[in-house]
Amino acid sequence: MATAPTSTTTANGNPSAADWQDRYHHVDQVLDRPGPRTDPSFLAGDEVKAFLRTSCKILVIGAGGLGCEILANLALSGFKDIHVIDMDTIDISNLNRQFLFRQKDVGKPKAIVAAEFIMNRVPGVTVTPYYGKIQDKDDDYYMQFNLIICGLDSVEARRWINATLVNLVDPENPESLKPLIDGGTEGFKGQARVILPTVTSCYECSLDMLNKPTAFPICTIANTPRLPEHCIEWASVLEWPRVHGDKRLDTDDPEHIGWLYKIALARAKEFKIEGVTWSLTQGVVKNIIPAIASTNAIIAAFKIATSSAAYLNNYFMLIGTDGVYSYTFEHEKRDDCPVCGGQALDISISKEWTVDRLIEMLVEKQDIQIKKPSLSTATKQIYFQAPPQLEELTRPNLERKVSDLVENGDHITVTAASLPFNLMVRVTYV
Amino acid sequence: MSTAESQDIEQATSAIGAPDSKTRRYDRQLRLWAASGQHALENSRILVLSSSATATAVLKNLVLPGIGHFTILDSAITTPADAGNNFFLSGLESVGKPRAQEAVQLLCELNESVEGEAVVKDISDLLQTEQGRAYVRSFSLVVAHNLRKDVLDGLSLLLWNDLSNPPLIVVRSAGFLAEFFIQFHEQCVAQPHTDETPPSLRITRPFPALLQWARELDFDKLDPTEHGHVPFVIILVRALDDWRKSHNGAPPSTSADKQAFKAAVREMRRKPDEENFDEAEAQAWRVWQEPAIPRDVEALFALSPLSSPGLAATLPSSKLTPETPNAAFHALLRTLDAFARSDRGPGCLPLSAALPDMRTDTESYVKLQTAYKEWAGIEKAHFKELLGEKFPDIAPLMTADQLDTFVKNAHHIRVLRGTRWGEWDTGAGTLATSLTTYACEAATATHLAFCALSTLLNDNPDGSNVTVESLKTEIRKLVGENVELPDEVDAAVGEIARAPTADMPNVAAFLGGLIAQEAIKVITNQYVPVKGYCVVDLVDSWTSIIGQ
Repeated sequence: MATAPTSTTTANGNPSAADWQDRYHHVDQVLDRPGPRTDPSFLAGDEVKAFLRTSCKILVIGAGGLGCEILANLALSGFKDIHVIDMDTIDISNLNRQFLFRQKDVGKPKAIVAAEFIMNRVPGVTVTPYYGKIQDKDDDYYMQFNLIICGLDSVEARRWINATLVNLVDPENPESLKPLIDGGTEGFKGQARVILPTVTSCYECSLDMLNKPTAFPICTIANTPRLPEHCIEWASVLEWPRVHGDKRLDTDDPEHIGWLYKIALARAKEFKIEGVTWSLTQGVVKNIIPAIASTNAIIAAFKIATSSAAYLNNYFMLIGTDGVYSYTFEHEKRDDCPVCGGQALDISISKEWTVDRLIEMLVEKQDIQIKKPSLSTATKQIYFQAPPQLEELTRPNLERKVSDLVENGDHITVTAASLPFNLMVRVTYV
Repeated sequence: MSTAESQDIEQATSAIGAPDSKTRRYDRQLRLWAASGQHALENSRILVLSSSATATAVLKNLVLPGIGHFTILDSAITTPADAGNNFFLSGLESVGKPRAQEAVQLLCELNESVEGEAVVKDISDLLQTEQGRAYVRSFSLVVAHNLRKDVLDGLSLLLWNDLSNPPLIVVRSAGFLAEFFIQFHEQCVAQPHTDETPPSLRITRPFPALLQWARELDFDKLDPTEHGHVPFVIILVRALDDWRKSHNGAPPSTSADKQAFKAAVREMRRKPDEENFDEAEAQAWRVWQEPAIPRDVEALFALSPLSSPGLAATLPSSKLTPETPNAAFHALLRTLDAFARSDRGPGCLPLSAALPDMRTDTESYVKLQTAYKEWAGIEKAHFKELLGEKFPDIAPLMTADQLDTFVKNAHHIRVLRGTRWGEWDTGAGTLATSLTTYACEAATATHLAFCALSTLLNDNPDGSNVTVESLKTEIRKLVGENVELPDEVDAAVGEIARAPTADMPNVAAFLGGLIAQEAIKVITNQYVPVKGYCVVDLVDSWTSIIGQ
């Protein structure tokens, strides 16, 4: 396991001091003896307990709906050295499920409040918070953990940590393989999965399983609105920049939402469209996903259980709307996964396609979804999004045909600033 | 989320401007069950027997969304083991103090608007007195975790004996395994949110305004823009009308017919890129696949309301009175049947005003939406009239919202009839069959292992007599001595024997989530609760339903 020193060692963190007799009576029943289905490599007894309670170091990414649950579960399970990262502050709409926060905490950093709460409630546990972005941390930081559990709500952040952990794997060093447990919820539904970087399917392998976000065509928004959502999109996508210029729309600012609501309502009235409300306005512009404590509890608990019994292999889905339906299956690794596959992704395009058209395709393709791709071949720079000088230099290529720049069957390397990976694309022309 | 639901949320807020703090706090859940669901939660009173890690995990997920009241009834004194596995106890400080009191205090911190009470008593004592039994019956829902078998048997019988008694959720867990069961007589779900049957758009039974529009539209006279924006509903109604005229009034039925109908729709287009015609072709299934009444809904028409043993003697079972359990729902259900058969009606369920988005211009869409709304209003008025005629005693007790919700969701409504706790376990043959039924083996084995465990713990609560052999002996008593026990029994029994009294924090949290979800469904009458036993195995990561 990792040997990097722990940054915090408090008296509180000394496990023996706070462990009272019978403290782990319940957990010990499964740690002291194996069950009929326990993996033979599981060494029941003191050794596993010592690992869990003294040396194991876990990182929790996100201290939101799932993060709060994960932290509490880990602490009660006996993990003593827990780290948590979150860049958000507490909002009142978190309080219906993020149970480590109270009304008085609104506005404070989630990671810090959550860490304090856990340490107060569960004696002897050290929770080290980091109020900031996961991207602030380097490989050495991630190297120190035995296990990483995600409670994230953003696809971008998940892709980043996934790619980072895949890149971290050094075949010569078994300790460099960091299991990643990920999952998410929406209403009464949720899923959880285990990723063993380079061994099992990774987050990027399953990108095409994501629901496509509802996008309304600009022409509908501008010319033929029919739904209240179209009026709200008009207010936020077209009217906000027109009226406010460069001022950024802050979807957490009630005044901004109020402005959008007013504008959307007026447009709806003009077109006799019903149903624009404050709540819908906020839901559309913030892309709000309904969330409740119970589903988060299920998914988070599942994630922890999956690390204490056998590792889940490797994907669990829960649908709680009609009875309780769950489905466990093995999601397969993709050989052409840009992160863990190693093989180039084959695409065939028209000889007439411009570089611009190819970029548009890469952005939209469900299994790629790269926001601002930069393209190059082994010998040529095709188009770079940054730095500005390089962008300017390569910009004329956008109008050129791909077939003028890349031979049939050659590879294009696709990179993106937001993601630590290179996608190899093999182009053939039809 | 539908627009109508968001309007419900909006009603709770000021007319214009930012929502109030309560709406903001509950925003993420109001998007799931709206103000009506929230109202039901806030009026609920929940009794939880035990303040174990699992029991407090359930309560946490009910206090956070804002139930009205909860009571923990538990005579236990906090042990060091409790203090180690329960997030809602204050570590060693709680040891030696009544566990219910310690837990209630910390649970109440989660939500100031929820009232919590600790009653430090033994449920078995309460069940001895009429006053105690009345107290238990006064709640809207009872949840019991790892309750001793003989007490649970008495409690479940008590609650089953009267139709007006609260549902009971029975939870059993040990180590990585668990199961729960909801004992209820009847759940009438007007808003299941399952949406597998989209409401009919009435293309095969167009209401007058729709038919008139489709018939009078002169496609040839439309300019290219207008032609590319005719709503697909109008295209299909017109195409079907034309088809019927040339087919003696019959709709397309054979596979060849259907292809020909689609071809006819294709023929109507002027340019290959008219997306409204693409949509019409893609939605052509509505012409032959939309039943007048969805089969599941039709099956409900034959359902007699439940009647209490006492009532049955005096009333024929078909008679509905305000005292009948779920009287309002059954009155609505019967009215729905009458509406579908009424000479004055459309011969199907009432029209839902909900219109999906489609390729068209604003004016046509708004016009179409208005036409649907107006006609839905007319049919609702007819429905209401029938309701008043048939059920003069019950109709006045119903709110306008109740009627609206029912009519709006008429295509999805569900009725569940439950069974008594333990009833399934009395049939040795049924259990033995389930134990060898494909995909039910492991779940049945786990359920039987829990039945065996309950019997053993009844006499020795410390679990000292729980062994693989003693569990298997009990299982044989349930399924019959001659039944060969499959390997799944060993897998379940071994796991139970490993940790017979372990209330693991993760498993507790998992169950806390599942059971709170079910409690919310039962209380709000939204979404569909589990019928049967929900078995959970966190060794091999699965859940399964048996004994439905």
